[in-house]
Amino acid sequence: MSFKIQLPCYQPLPLPQISVHSPPCHQKANHHHHINGHDPIPPPCPHLADFRSRNGTKPFHLFQNCLRIKPPHGRASIRRDPSEVPRCGACGVSSAPRIYACVTCAAISCHAPPEPSHAAAHAAAMAPGHEISVDVDRAELFCCACRDYVYDRDFDAAVVLSSKANYIHSNVNSDNLRKKRRIVEYRPWLPDIHERVLVNNNSSVLSFVEDRPWGLRGLNNLGNTCFMNSVLQALLHTPPLRNYFLSDKHNRYYCQQQKKSGNDNGVVGGKRSNGGDGNGGKGLRLCLACDMDAMFSAVFSGELVPYSPAKFLYSWWQHAANLASYEQQDAHEFFISMLDGIHEKVEKDRHKPHSLGHGDCCIAHRVFSGILRSDVMCTACGFTSTTYDPCVDISLDLEPYQGSSAKSVSLKTHSCNGEADCKNSSQNGGISTLIGCLDRFTRPERLGSDQKFFCQQCQVRQESLKQMSIRKLPLVSCFHIKRFEHSSIRKMSRKVDRYLQFPFSLDMAPYLSSSILRSRFGNRVFPFDGDETDASNEMSSEFELFAVVTHTGKLDAGHYVTYLRLSNQWYKCDDSWITRVNENIVRSAQGYMMFYVQKMLYYKAGEKQVAQ
Amino acid sequence: MSVPNEENMSPHTQLSSHFLGELLDSIIVDVASECHRIAKLGLDRNSEEEEEELRLSAQARVTVAAPSHSCETNGKYVVDIFGQTHPTVANEVFDCMNCGRPIVAGRFAPHLEKCMGKGRKARVKATRSSTAAQNRYSRGSPVSAYSPYSNSTGTHKLSNGTYNHTVEEYSNGTCEEP
Repeated sequence: MSFKIQLPCYQPLPLPQISVHSPPCHQKANHHHHINGHDPIPPPCPHLADFRSRNGTKPFHLFQNCLRIKPPHGRASIRRDPSEVPRCGACGVSSAPRIYACVTCAAISCHAPPEPSHAAAHAAAMAPGHEISVDVDRAELFCCACRDYVYDRDFDAAVVLSSKANYIHSNVNSDNLRKKRRIVEYRPWLPDIHERVLVNNNSSVLSFVEDRPWGLRGLNNLGNTCFMNSVLQALLHTPPLRNYFLSDKHNRYYCQQQKKSGNDNGVVGGKRSNGGDGNGGKGLRLCLACDMDAMFSAVFSGELVPYSPAKFLYSWWQHAANLASYEQQDAHEFFISMLDGIHEKVEKDRHKPHSLGHGDCCIAHRVFSGILRSDVMCTACGFTSTTYDPCVDISLDLEPYQGSSAKSVSLKTHSCNGEADCKNSSQNGGISTLIGCLDRFTRPERLGSDQKFFCQQCQVRQESLKQMSIRKLPLVSCFHIKRFEHSSIRKMSRKVDRYLQFPFSLDMAPYLSSSILRSRFGNRVFPFDGDETDASNEMSSEFELFAVVTHTGKLDAGHYVTYLRLSNQWYKCDDSWITRVNENIVRSAQGYMMFYVQKMLYYKAGEKQVAQ
Repeated sequence: MSVPNEENMSPHTQLSSHFLGELLDSIIVDVASECHRIAKLGLDRNSEEEEEELRLSAQARVTVAAPSHSCETNGKYVVDIFGQTHPTVANEVFDCMNCGRPIVAGRFAPHLEKCMGKGRKARVKATRSSTAAQNRYSRGSPVSAYSPYSNSTGTHKLSNGTYNHTVEEYSNGTCEEP
């Protein structure tokens, strides 16, 4: 659908929408890089604007020959020849921290307050037209008259292209990434007379009580099945999944009929099933989606007596035979297994593998599947190998250490050289946070000398840096915290009880491949992987929390509980017991799996979920 | 760090000190120009929102830990939001879809395990599927924390197929509340 939604602006600086000039860019595609819809470049100072109008983009093109990049992804500097030592024309100094080369006449001047600025003197003496210069050690434009760094899209493009030319990039499996999604015009629908009759005759009025949210129903514990109940509660209230099943996109009656007339494969025993909701009939085809459909119908029916997901358990045990036992299971393991089950049973007819990560194969992947990008960079030559893999969730390690309580600025976006090791927990007074875990997940990691990577360019094994990022965000992000540790060496397992702070609203923009790549290239203004401005990308990095699965107790004697957020009110789902809780309980709970949905798909307080 | 007294230093030390000063200046300008760019281009993270979330969480933990706070999570429930109560063992009765016998809900899983011939005595190999490949990206060395799901590499698979723990047969068939 292509309809406009106005999002609130969170940027601290009021940036204008359009830059003064619209220069042609080397990339033929759209060259704006939007973060939440803003053009990042501030308007040029009058001197830069003047310079541009007089010279177009030619001077920046010339600099491409002078750009020197230290591998891998080192800082860009300007040198006419590699051994040049730039000296200030006025005083001969070469070691000042800031040395500028005039973009118009290449004169080199220093700028070292509180000394008088030779750079400013040059601009004044040669005015007009010599105000813009470039920092020779950092390849940044500086306006000597304004005495401030200024930013230009074409200059940045020149720097990035020069950097890119210096190392070769290999994309291992990116062919299927640039799939163009067909955008469908939104058309409102109203029933015609015949349809109106159909709707009236076949509808039953749901008893919707004002203060009671729709679809809340306890799930009976069938014997150590709280691991299953907790995940099911989260899924029953996953907005796109709920909408899919409630709008009859997978009709269990129709599906079973289809399968009955088809092959005999997997026909389950001839007994009549009776999980309380009656799929009915003999010779039922195993289909987890059908069982989900039955569950959605039951849970959203308005019935208050707890539902027994027995048929679902039965079907799941047939699908995941290795997990079929009465023992307590891992909720996350169940989650993965269940999505896999829905995928297998649904997509068999359509032969669409999950490997593309587009989610066209089944509803489970349509909702949860994202694409992760993994870059492995040779530290010697900068050669980078990139792979893309689909994922249905993100598993995060808890930090192995507690950070110091000293307050320090997070260096997340500043890692130009790819080697910043951010002590993310140090700014939180030692508390582990989900944001901190995500920072760790996407930071460049130096692979040990025992894990040398074969560099295609160097043709030898080299030490390398590995960095993860998110190429495509799913509709629903599930974060799984690795709280269960297993050591096959020490033959023991333990649970990590450490508290993890998680936000109710989460912006995933810093973890996108486009952001990560951008910071790797010094945050230059340039379209990076994933920067397309199609509707699905522009507004989809903001997420809202809607379900939290928690685990309390010991590793082998614990209990799973799910907290659901409906109409900005939190409910605790503890097997058969549904109670209302204060958000403080949720904030202080021990999160094991956190479910976030894209803000666009999330109903906030005050919006009725039932159409009037 | 105290500024060294220049008059008492040898020329050698003075030179070293001078170089160090220049290096520091250069590094400071490096960081400053990076931050300048990030601030000007609006790339900095919304730290206000993040700090607010941290503050709310800290506040929540204090509130919950206070002795006056009603033990919602620890105590037993009286009624749920619909005014209902529920027994420890779910007592709904339905027919097993495998054998047809009527079973009490709270004991359905142990029954089904025997009924289907599953359980520890009858393990079947894990099904390998395409979604198992998503574990490849997970970080961590072999001895670090990871989740106990079966993955395609199989390097961390334990002998009984799930995570290693002592199984406790609960007499009432429910999960134990600590």
